[in-house]
Amino acid sequence: MHSGGNASSLPLVGGAPEPTINQLSKPGRRASRFPKLDVPVTEINNSAIRNDKPSLPEVSEHDLVMHYSRLAHRNFAVDVGFYPLGSCTMKYNPRFADYVAGLNTFANSHPSTPSAFTQGNLEVLHELEKFLIEITGMDNATFQPPAGASGELTGLLIIKKYLEENNLTNKTDIIVPDSAHGTNPASAKMAGFNVVEVSTDVRGMVNIDDLKELVNENTAGLMLTNPNTGGLFEENIMEISNIIHENGGLVYYDGANLNAIVGVCRPGDMGFDIVHSNLHKTFATPHGGGGPGSGPVAVKAFLKEYLPGPIVEKNENSFEWYMPKLSIGRMHGYHGNFLVALRALVYMKLLGKEGLDTLGSYAVLNARYLSSVISKVIPLAYNEPCMHEFVATVKDLKKSHKIKAYDVGKALLDKGFHSPTIYFPLIIEEALMFEPTETQTVDTLDDLADTLKVIIDELQGEDVSLEEYPKNLPVGRPNELIPAKHLTVNWGDFELLELTE
Amino acid sequence: MFVPHSEIDLKKMFEELSISSLDDLFTHIPETLKLNDGLNVPPSLSELESISDFENLESKNTQNLICFAGGGHYDVYLPQTVKSLTMRPEFMTSYTPYQAEISQGILQVLFEYQSLICDLTDMELANASLYDGATSVAEAISVAINKTKRDNVVISNGFNPNTKEVVNTLVDRNKFNVNYVDLVDYLFPEDYVFSQDDAAFIVSLPHYEGSAQDLTSIVHNAKAAGVITICYADPSMLGILKSPGSMGFDIVVAEGQSMGSPLSFGGPTVGWFATRKELARLVPGRIIGESRDSNNTKTYVMTLRAREQDIRREKASSNICTNQTLNAVGSTIHLSWLGPEGLYEIGYQAIQKASYMKQLLSDKNFNVLNHTSSLREFLVETKKSAEEVILEMGSKGFLAGIKYDDNQILVAVTEKRTKAQIDNYVESLMEVDNA
Repeated sequence: MHSGGNASSLPLVGGAPEPTINQLSKPGRRASRFPKLDVPVTEINNSAIRNDKPSLPEVSEHDLVMHYSRLAHRNFAVDVGFYPLGSCTMKYNPRFADYVAGLNTFANSHPSTPSAFTQGNLEVLHELEKFLIEITGMDNATFQPPAGASGELTGLLIIKKYLEENNLTNKTDIIVPDSAHGTNPASAKMAGFNVVEVSTDVRGMVNIDDLKELVNENTAGLMLTNPNTGGLFEENIMEISNIIHENGGLVYYDGANLNAIVGVCRPGDMGFDIVHSNLHKTFATPHGGGGPGSGPVAVKAFLKEYLPGPIVEKNENSFEWYMPKLSIGRMHGYHGNFLVALRALVYMKLLGKEGLDTLGSYAVLNARYLSSVISKVIPLAYNEPCMHEFVATVKDLKKSHKIKAYDVGKALLDKGFHSPTIYFPLIIEEALMFEPTETQTVDTLDDLADTLKVIIDELQGEDVSLEEYPKNLPVGRPNELIPAKHLTVNWGDFELLELTE
Repeated sequence: MFVPHSEIDLKKMFEELSISSLDDLFTHIPETLKLNDGLNVPPSLSELESISDFENLESKNTQNLICFAGGGHYDVYLPQTVKSLTMRPEFMTSYTPYQAEISQGILQVLFEYQSLICDLTDMELANASLYDGATSVAEAISVAINKTKRDNVVISNGFNPNTKEVVNTLVDRNKFNVNYVDLVDYLFPEDYVFSQDDAAFIVSLPHYEGSAQDLTSIVHNAKAAGVITICYADPSMLGILKSPGSMGFDIVVAEGQSMGSPLSFGGPTVGWFATRKELARLVPGRIIGESRDSNNTKTYVMTLRAREQDIRREKASSNICTNQTLNAVGSTIHLSWLGPEGLYEIGYQAIQKASYMKQLLSDKNFNVLNHTSSLREFLVETKKSAEEVILEMGSKGFLAGIKYDDNQILVAVTEKRTKAQIDNYVESLMEVDNA
């Protein structure tokens, strides 16, 4: 099979380790050049001035470029091959957004520039807000949160402030499914709430009976993704949101899985009061090796005045900053990750109605197809139609051949595919979670399923040493014990020896 | 758009799933929830059609303002080499490096990033980035509170007001006191007395107002009271200022925009976080460590993972997951491009040019409030309201600075500014503020 998503031709194979930039340093070399000082020199008298030069590498520009280009070659990426990473929505990131994000005043506005001089930037945020509230079925949005976890914290602080304003400070519990992302409980704790876990039923959905038992006068709210982290649509979502609302709590939508439902249905119509979106997932902005992201929060109108601000408002002839009256405050030093928001706007404008109406449908089509072909190789965790992602499990292979999800993931790396998400959600044994996104071809999906079959057969062989996988990459499996005993976190000789436990 | 399926592909997929249309995928979703007419959004545009839309939108911003604003974000020259390398698609479009074997590139860059920041600040352990300078201050305060189990936070008032707002949002003031200490003559009082209830002392180097001082003795006093000391440093001045570590600080945080990121209207930039090894277990966010693989080859991995939200859930040191990795890549490459001479040069030139500008302003009868203690950034008094002056200076092609008070403007100078620009600025300010 020759599919576009298979990166097995990558020159990642073999080779010696790349030295650090510090090892390439030689005294007297430099890349930087500056114009000569064009003002008269004055003596600087300040007790904070240092007497020596800082410690930094000294390299030529060509050495610098070669070093970081070689490191780039040692990295998998969306532009290189297929990432079937569940819960991460690793879709194609349109190159055109790079051009727009590089335009002069978009890229180079100082964040303190008055609104009179940045009408274009404010209009970008206003336009994006219009798209976002239409897609999510909400009324107002803020772009302050720089990532999903910050969006979650924003939502929870809004719930907290709302309860305070309504003299409901007895409400201290946030209910989170046992299948939720770790950021959910971590954010709830940061906002000062107690975390209460609701279980998942045998079909893979929120256990309604358990939920009813957990909900009481202390319930502040519920955090939920829909589809959930098992990739299943919570069919009883209206009943779930009603249960919370009847007890005076608010319902929070974690936008991690929004890609499944864009154009199909909307959180706002399911009873959610607060929604965060991950622009770096659903709206195709690049992940950057782990960031930057952007986690705008959209709310129903009754929560508008609680939003972190300032937010953009459209007046008759201009756009202005507005600080909501009961605002929880600021979540970011300025306006959030503006250039990420701009890239998301580029994506939405290119897709437009035709693209956005069918976005969720194609994301689900690819996942449903992949689940169908993969189920012939590895059993699925749930016998329900999946949305944009699904979970398979190798718990039987673990029993019969000691093959763990980890081993399957590592063996896939050798074959030119990124591993699926493994061991998540935590409630499924030996979980492999696949999310193909809508931008992969059916050939690539077939190729992945075929490759999985080859791997599973290979790993069950007589003389196989599972630890040897991956075999064809610049490095093999990292030794997990070394960092615990002999941790090196910078290129000095510093070791955290006392951390040995 | 970006969906690759041909009619033949769709036929094959529909057959596999025994469906006849996309709608058949959603028979399990309640009908009442479905969007029957789709979304109310504009029609799709091709790239060619939308170029002019976005160029028009960009042109609504005032063009070519010469930037004299700072306050944490500085118009430092960002070399093309740094921009091109940072935007390499292998870095830009990669995911978080959970799979070390195919992520050695980004892992090594982040290891170099952590090392460069440790060298520059004289710290022992840096994380792989936080959101920005303001949120880094709040995260550092959280580390100090967790370490000391104390309830009082002492923070210098010499901070960007936005940073203070972020602190006020993220530090639970029902549980903890946040005590802002005023600067005296634009410097932190040397004789400030710390208490045994103080968890954290946070101060900016230089202060928001642009003045700087050796903070060694104040840090010494704070540490004697068992307080965790936190320095908010300006990275582009670290080449010419004493390092926070040499002054004795426990934690260094920074707004890293000036190292590797364009101004970007404030984001995405990067928050630096570095500390001493004693605090390792409390550090928020990802940390990259050096390990070995099964063949004893040097291998970089994410480490000390038991602090993070995906493993510790509600007991994590922070909820941060997605961070600002690509901006950290920018910082790494920019610092390596600059080298010791380059980083010194941008600090030195900024201070020399600011010094020239302060003298020129004084010669023209403007009051520079912190003339002697300031370095590259300073406060100028205006007769007209600061807001009015900034708007009128805008029409003369200058971003004059940041409004500090009704009649005070915070002015910043970087190595990029030329003598001619400074001369023109002062001349324009005379016209604007005397009119």
